[in-house]
Amino acid sequence: MKKSLENRIGAGYSFLAPAIIFYSIFFLFPVIFSLLVSFKKWNMLIPFTKAPFIGWKNFLDLLKDELFLMSLRNTLLYALLTVSITLTISLFYAIMINKAKFSVFWRFIYFAPVVTPQVAIATIWGYLYNPNNGLLNAILRFFGFKGLNWLTDPSTALFSIILTAIWAGIGGSMLIFTASLKNIPQEYYDAAKIDGATGFKEFWYITLPLLKPTLLFLSATGLIGAWQVFDLPYMLGRNAPAKSVMTVSWYTYETAFQYLRMGRASAGAFLLFVVIFVITLIVLWIFRKGGIKGYE
Amino acid sequence: MNRNVKNLLWETFRYSIIIFGAFWMILPFFWLFSASLMTPQELLAFPPKFLPAEPQWKNYIEVVKKIPILMYYKNSLIVAISVTLSVLLTSSLAGYSFAKLKFPGREAFFRFVLSTMMFPVFIFLIPVYYLMKLFGWLNNYLSLITPFMVSGYGIFLMRQFILTIPNELLDSARIDGANELKIYLKIIIPLLKPALATLAILTFIGQWNSFLWPLIVTSSSQHLMTLPVGISRLSLAFSTTETQHLILTALVLQVIPTVALFLFLQRYYIKGFVLSGFGEV
Repeated sequence: MKKSLENRIGAGYSFLAPAIIFYSIFFLFPVIFSLLVSFKKWNMLIPFTKAPFIGWKNFLDLLKDELFLMSLRNTLLYALLTVSITLTISLFYAIMINKAKFSVFWRFIYFAPVVTPQVAIATIWGYLYNPNNGLLNAILRFFGFKGLNWLTDPSTALFSIILTAIWAGIGGSMLIFTASLKNIPQEYYDAAKIDGATGFKEFWYITLPLLKPTLLFLSATGLIGAWQVFDLPYMLGRNAPAKSVMTVSWYTYETAFQYLRMGRASAGAFLLFVVIFVITLIVLWIFRKGGIKGYE
Repeated sequence: MNRNVKNLLWETFRYSIIIFGAFWMILPFFWLFSASLMTPQELLAFPPKFLPAEPQWKNYIEVVKKIPILMYYKNSLIVAISVTLSVLLTSSLAGYSFAKLKFPGREAFFRFVLSTMMFPVFIFLIPVYYLMKLFGWLNNYLSLITPFMVSGYGIFLMRQFILTIPNELLDSARIDGANELKIYLKIIIPLLKPALATLAILTFIGQWNSFLWPLIVTSSSQHLMTLPVGISRLSLAFSTTETQHLILTALVLQVIPTVALFLFLQRYYIKGFVLSGFGEV
């Protein structure tokens, strides 16, 4: 008996060996190394050990850099608007499509952008947004409106990127909402019917409270993802004047791999991590405060 | 009667909303396909054309000749398939270990694996790039593959599935003298096939669409460029007017594999996607 237990300890660790090796090289080392880099002035061209230690200067420089502050503001705006609007629209559509005919067909259409490469989505929308011969301005003009300079006007550029992100993201959260809607027992609605509840009351007093955990979870994952957004702004924000749609992730990428300021880029990445960590904590706190109870 | 009229009105409203949304979802895809068959003049025409006067199917031949799209395809396939196979193997091994084998430190390590998923990718770019440079892997596929060979989400998913396999099944095999490796190969893997399919399609699509890391790694080695990086470079380089109209053709070729994969394996993909949404709640 003892032998079989020992065997399992051996098997347990050996089955985990690939993961343990992987996490040592590609997780533990990078996190520690990255933290060290953020206190150094380093361009990756000289050996790391020869890079001078400069204390908190990278962090202070970041907070004084207007481009970084603008990228923070843009990312915050992007995250809040994209997540709140995407969730509202996708909840609405999940309810519309739930129990509709051909629901598999609709689901496929709404979900297609989620499996499409973001680079492809950005390129397509780049053409659609073209102020002269883009399809969107053609539609606006058809209805008698003036065309917009979607991506080149600093006051609309960020919102155009948000619009594309919403288009690309609706299908994903819709799918999760649909799955949660299917979990709500039909008896609740039957009981409400007997009490004379109408469509909107049904939604407000039954559907919404029961969807609260899903809603919270999607807000959390949505915000965490949105804070790291790179592909869309990088591809669509090229022609916006003065980098007015710069996001934190793009700033980090550019600082590291174009200006070779590894220290400052690492500091930026860590500030990003702190933001994401705080969001996660807040969401966990809300969950504990009774979000989960909605299900019970 | 009144009730029926109300119902009819509601249903009309509902389906108009659904169709209105579907129209906007399809429009960019439809336009992409239509534009991929246009001549360069038609693409730049004002007012914009919605359909080509005559579909230029030759664009699809031209794109292969003028753009190294076959090389991008090959690179994307090599990377996506290698990462997928590796993730399937490492996730199922670790998942089995976490779900069914008892050893000290198991819970702590599992919590560690879950917490790794919370770290933003930007913390890893510089150190991992530096590692790849030290290893001398920047000019070969290893730099694109190795950083993704283990997936925290994959381990979590496999563990959840393996937990549902009854212990009695494993114990009776142990009594018959099977060791853990044999149990993994002969019992776990066959029962895990649907879950493996789910993880495979999620991983493959994720890798096929992945942009940031290949963008960084292939900046110095163009022969490793994957489809997203190759196409983004083409569409950002406005000087090459002779290939501008071919970008959309290339895009169709880039989009087709994932959308087709999703269309045919929808069931598996959605299962994994929904599980990722509920996993941690």
